[in-house]
Amino acid sequence: TEWNVSVWGKRRSFTEHIEKLSELVSAKTNGEFTMNISYGGLSKNRENLDGISIGAFEMAQFCAGYHRDKNPTITALELPFLGIGSLEEEIAVSMAVYNHPSTIEDLARWNAKLVMPSPMPQYNLVGVGEAPSSLDDFEGMRIRATGGIGQAFSEIGAVPTSVTATEAYNAMQSGVVDSVAFAEHAHIAYRILENGDWWTTNLNPGVVNCPVVVNIDAYDALSDAHREALDSSIDEALQHYLAEYAKIFDRWDAAMTEYGIEPVTFSDEQANAFREMAAGPVRDAWLEKMSSINVPGQELIDLINATLSEVRQ
Amino acid sequence: MAGSASVLEDHSLLSRLDRTLNFTERQLAIVCGLATLSLMLLATVSVAGRMFFNAPLPGYIDWIEQIMPVIAFMAISYTQRDGGHIRMDILVGRLRGRVLWLFELVTTIAIFILVIALIYGSWAHFERSFDFARPMWSNDSSIDISLPLWPAKLLAPVAFSVLALRLVLQIYAYGKAFFLNISEPIAIPLVQSAAEQAAEEAKHVSGSQT
Amino acid sequence: MEPIEIGLAVSAGMLLLVIAGMRVAFAAGLAGLVGLIWIFWARFGYAPEQFGKALTISLKTAGQVPHSKVASQALSLIPTFILIGYLAYYAGLTRAIFELAKRWVGWLPGGLAVSTVFATAGFAAVSGASVATSAVFARIAIPEMLKLGYDKRFAAGVVAAGGTLASLIPPSAILVIYAIIVEQDVGKLLLAGFIPGAFSAVVYGALIVGMALTFRNFGPPVKGFTWRERFEAVPAAFPIFFVIGIIILFIYNPIGDKAWGTPTEGGALGAFVVFLMALYRKMSWSQLKDALVETAKLSAMIFTIIWGVLIYVRFLGFADLPGAFSDWISGLQQDPMVTLIMILLAYAVLGMFMDAIGMLLLTLPVVYPAVMALNGGETVAAADSAFGMSGPMCAIWFGILVVKMAEFCLITPPIGLNCFVVAGVRDDISVQDVFRGVTPFFVADALTIAGLVMFPWIVLWLPSLT
Ligand code: NA
Ligand code: NA
Repeated sequence: TEWNVSVWGKRRSFTEHIEKLSELVSAKTNGEFTMNISYGGLSKNRENLDGISIGAFEMAQFCAGYHRDKNPTITALELPFLGIGSLEEEIAVSMAVYNHPSTIEDLARWNAKLVMPSPMPQYNLVGVGEAPSSLDDFEGMRIRATGGIGQAFSEIGAVPTSVTATEAYNAMQSGVVDSVAFAEHAHIAYRILENGDWWTTNLNPGVVNCPVVVNIDAYDALSDAHREALDSSIDEALQHYLAEYAKIFDRWDAAMTEYGIEPVTFSDEQANAFREMAAGPVRDAWLEKMSSINVPGQELIDLINATLSEVRQ
Repeated sequence: MAGSASVLEDHSLLSRLDRTLNFTERQLAIVCGLATLSLMLLATVSVAGRMFFNAPLPGYIDWIEQIMPVIAFMAISYTQRDGGHIRMDILVGRLRGRVLWLFELVTTIAIFILVIALIYGSWAHFERSFDFARPMWSNDSSIDISLPLWPAKLLAPVAFSVLALRLVLQIYAYGKAFFLNISEPIAIPLVQSAAEQAAEEAKHVSGSQT
Repeated sequence: MEPIEIGLAVSAGMLLLVIAGMRVAFAAGLAGLVGLIWIFWARFGYAPEQFGKALTISLKTAGQVPHSKVASQALSLIPTFILIGYLAYYAGLTRAIFELAKRWVGWLPGGLAVSTVFATAGFAAVSGASVATSAVFARIAIPEMLKLGYDKRFAAGVVAAGGTLASLIPPSAILVIYAIIVEQDVGKLLLAGFIPGAFSAVVYGALIVGMALTFRNFGPPVKGFTWRERFEAVPAAFPIFFVIGIIILFIYNPIGDKAWGTPTEGGALGAFVVFLMALYRKMSWSQLKDALVETAKLSAMIFTIIWGVLIYVRFLGFADLPGAFSDWISGLQQDPMVTLIMILLAYAVLGMFMDAIGMLLLTLPVVYPAVMALNGGETVAAADSAFGMSGPMCAIWFGILVVKMAEFCLITPPIGLNCFVVAGVRDDISVQDVFRGVTPFFVADALTIAGLVMFPWIVLWLPSLT
């Protein structure tokens, strides 16, 4: 069996669990089940779910915020200020939501089955020009920030102006946006540091959720041995991902110095003010939207909170 | 380049159909031109808002992505009518009479097959973004201001359907020219020599004033 | 068959369709569709009962491409750049810039011809397309040159060659297309076109001055303009300078620390100013409608070929042909510079028979990764590279070279489109005349291209400032 896998950009920490998965599966099946990972050749990243639904490829990665209406359930994980503190917590919370019946049903509309998240630390901004020193400075700032993070920033007067990750460098370079919200690895991989002047160390508005999915028919068509090889490799692939991501944290400070990026740290007071202004309104608007399309929004939020307190024990 | 060829007309039914369709095509082309003009105004408003009022236009990119399909698709059939889609005419430029009509007939049928296939494929693309049961019927929306994407996606199969009509007319006209060995058939763009084509194009640019 | 073999077979089939005269956009789209069906059916082991499934997947995959690819912020530059050219014409900018050039540089040997070259270069700053520029100036500049006793063949050659400057000097639709295919910064590419465009104009000008000094009865200088008259000609051409200024400030701001916005916004703002100017010059609704319809047609032509070729490129992605070709090119045992020059020569040959936009769209998906691999990869540092420049800089340099090659092909026989256009405007000048008259400019272009290959900083200096 050979699977085509559609991801985008270049090989980076964010895709290491997929690379590892492919390696493990091939080793466990003596090369009978291989994955051919394509970085952008098979689809545009905003259409990876379409490709899965068509059956053009068997596995893909995408981000929920690129198309909220395609995957309303998992946008729960993109709500601002959920209070997720580590990548391990992010994995636990994501898997809990992925396994919720309404999420399974939501993704089944695309003939897709969620297999694992691509956990990332809290997003922060890298921007050009004068660094913001208070929340007021975000008024009129054009920020590349998708999903709930974008909505959080719009609560303090910023204007979300979003392109996909692949287009973010150009958008910043050419002045479409003033700042970009990303996790650390992406600030490096998408060359945002090359453009930027400053970095917000502790706004921590939330994180984008980018799952890996498989085509349900292709998954069901696997032999028992192959399916077992796939299922049993997921944990190890995620562990490998965490180890790779840790290297980013090690490199981050040096990268900031290298590119001359000025860290901007907001006072606890300001950070709390941001949380208070954004968390409630964005969640309420989200719940309303979810109820209009019969998604149990409150149940998903409760699930996230319950899972969080569970892993913290 | 986009050399517009001349299309002969007469009082036959074929020619009347050709002109009726051409009228529709031209209206669509004007819509496409107005969309370009709106793009210009949108950018002007966006820049002015940002620079003078510290108020960038929310959803600027989302709106551009909605307008672009109008510009890209709506004039496709109008362009096909005049033979404006580029091709390499090193071979067909030398052919005359029946052999020429045969080549044109075969390649036009090939285009027709592609276009029918694309109507199906682009309709499926539209359908995946459309759901009667949801707010604004939207199953896929833009990143920042959640504009439903289905109207822009629907433009592709619509424009391709108009093009399919145009191709049916052209296939009929080429077929007739081939079987009846007509030297100056109506309703199809006549192959001009590169020089004639250029003269036609030059007339466009220098027609009205300087 | 292996996917790569399918890739080669389908590409050969597409070439046959193109030669048979099928419209390039549709030939590429059909080839891509057939290729997808073939690849998917091969994956299902050619089982007859699986053909329907392969067909459905392929149709849906191909059917995504048109909307998915054209709904793009970056591509919105193209219609704007086309519109601005048509509006500039109705705003009377063509004559204004010619008059200005005549008063300022007409005193040189061969002055009126030199003025024509600089006027086309100036008009290039508001026009995104070469052919239109030649057509417009054939009307205005040739009669004046004939009055002064220039050889009619040479006069026509000057206009045909001058028109090609429009695609290097921004705004340029073709540079935008290149930037999109290779996913590089549009702003930097546009910026990179300025100096090579100006450099080409200077080489053309020097060539004319040299000819005027060498040959007798070449055409007298135009003398006698006072400084007052020179400055009086400036206001009418002012919108052109305004547009140039806007576009520069929006791509790269030399006076502040960051650009004012995007090239798209700069282009749109420029178009808006020219639009107001045309309204002021009493452009009628029917003239505006004409400009809109012509813009629509050219845009439809360009976008159709873009999505058509991208269906083919999607198929190439499944066949992994670009990867295989770039492995082959970078594995060649010869000096990378020799390989690059061979690639450029191949473009010269292909350009004799093909339209520039079609040629670039068809070849770049395969050739561009190969050239990048030749230099040492997309992320190579200048010190480790074959051509002595970083990956992104190589992308810009190659883009300018390829566009200059494509422009060169607009004045070479047998299909040199600019020459046909000039002959088309003038009843008394045959195509052969124009080809004869334009011959000296081949030499100038060959020198320019050699200069750009040998001294890449001519291209890279401006973009490296941003
Ligand atoms: Na230009
Ligand atoms: Na040529």
